[in-house]
Amino acid sequence: MTGAAMSEGAALLIVVLVGFLPTEIWRSLAVLAGRRLEEGSPVFHWVKAVATALLAAVVARLLFAPAGALAAVPLMLRLGAVAGGVAGFLAFRRSVFVGVLVGEILLIAGIMLSH
Amino acid sequence: MSAPPDFHPAHHAPAVWFLKGLKAGLSVPAIVLFASYLGFGAVLQSVGFPIGAGLVSTLLVWALPAQLILIGGIAAGTALPAVALAVAISSIRLLPMVVSVAPYIRGPRRSLFWELVSAHYVAMTVWLEGLRMLPHLPGEARLPFTLGLGNMLVSISMMGTLAGFLVAGELPTPLAAGLLLLTPLSFTVLMVRNATGPTDWLALAAGFLLMPATLRLEGGLDLMIAGIGGGTFAYVAGRLLERRRRPS
Repeated sequence: MTGAAMSEGAALLIVVLVGFLPTEIWRSLAVLAGRRLEEGSPVFHWVKAVATALLAAVVARLLFAPAGALAAVPLMLRLGAVAGGVAGFLAFRRSVFVGVLVGEILLIAGIMLSH
Repeated sequence: MSAPPDFHPAHHAPAVWFLKGLKAGLSVPAIVLFASYLGFGAVLQSVGFPIGAGLVSTLLVWALPAQLILIGGIAAGTALPAVALAVAISSIRLLPMVVSVAPYIRGPRRSLFWELVSAHYVAMTVWLEGLRMLPHLPGEARLPFTLGLGNMLVSISMMGTLAGFLVAGELPTPLAAGLLLLTPLSFTVLMVRNATGPTDWLALAAGFLLMPATLRLEGGLDLMIAGIGGGTFAYVAGRLLERRRRPS
C-alpha cells in the first residue's frame, strides 16, 4: 500500500466505483444487448489477450514485489515454487490441485530448510 | 437461442427451488472458491486494504481476477481511472458468459429486473455450474435455483475472504508465506491450463515478463504497459504466427 492505510469509507467508494461498476456493466450489457456481440470477432480475441496479459502482470507483481510474509522469502524460491507447481500440474494429469500442492510444499519446505 | 422448456414432473414453490440452489452450492467448486478467496483475503491483509471493503468487493465485483487487478493496482499506486479501465478490460469476458447462460436462467417469464439481478452471479463457477445443471430443471425453477446457487457461492467466498484476512497476520512465517503464494500460484497454474493457442501463451509470457521490467516506473504505469501493451503485442504476434502456420 502506498502511504498510510486507506480508510474503510474511501476503500468502499473505490470498490464500488473502480471495481463494481466496470465489472457489472458487462453483465448488464449482456442482458440488455448482448446478443449482437460476436464471440469469435477480432475484438474479442484482443480483449482475451489483454485480459490474460493483465492477469499475468498482476500475478507477476505478487511474485516479484510481494507484501507481507512472502516478501521475506528469496525471489528465486518464490519463482521456483511456482515453476515447480506448473511442472507438477503438467506431470500429474494436468491436475490443478496437484500443481498448487507441489508449489506450496516447495515454498514451505524451502523456507524451513533455509532457517 | 433459448433453451427448450424441460417439463420436469416435480413442481415446487420458488422458495423450495431457492433452497435447492443453496444446497447445490455446497459442492467441490465451493471448496475451490473458498481456497481461492482465502488467498485473496491474505493478499488484502498484506497490502493493508480494509477488510470491510474487501468483503464488499467479493459480494459486488464477484470476479477474482478483477478483484486482484483492483487491489493490485491500488497497492501499486496506479491512477484510479487506469485501474477502472484495467478492471473493465479484465471483466469483458463476463459478457459472453452471461449471453450464453442467460437463456437458461431466464425461464419462461421475462423480467428485466430479475435478469439483471441473476446476471450478477455469473462468473466462472456459476457459468459452468449453470450450463451443467439448469437445462435439467423446469423453466420456472431456474431463476430461484440460480439465485440460491449464486448466493451460497458468494457467501462461502466471503467467508474465505474473511478467514484469509484474519489468519494471514497470525500464522507462523512459512504458512503465512504459503497462504500469500496461493493466489499467484493457483492463477499461474490455471492460466497455463487455459492457454490453448500461441496468442494465449504470448499474452501470458508478455504480461509476466514485462511486469518486473516496468516495476520501477513512476505513476503505476506497469499494469497498463504489461497488460494492454503485452496483450496487444500477443494478439498481433499470435495472429501472424497462426497465419504462417495455416497458409491459405
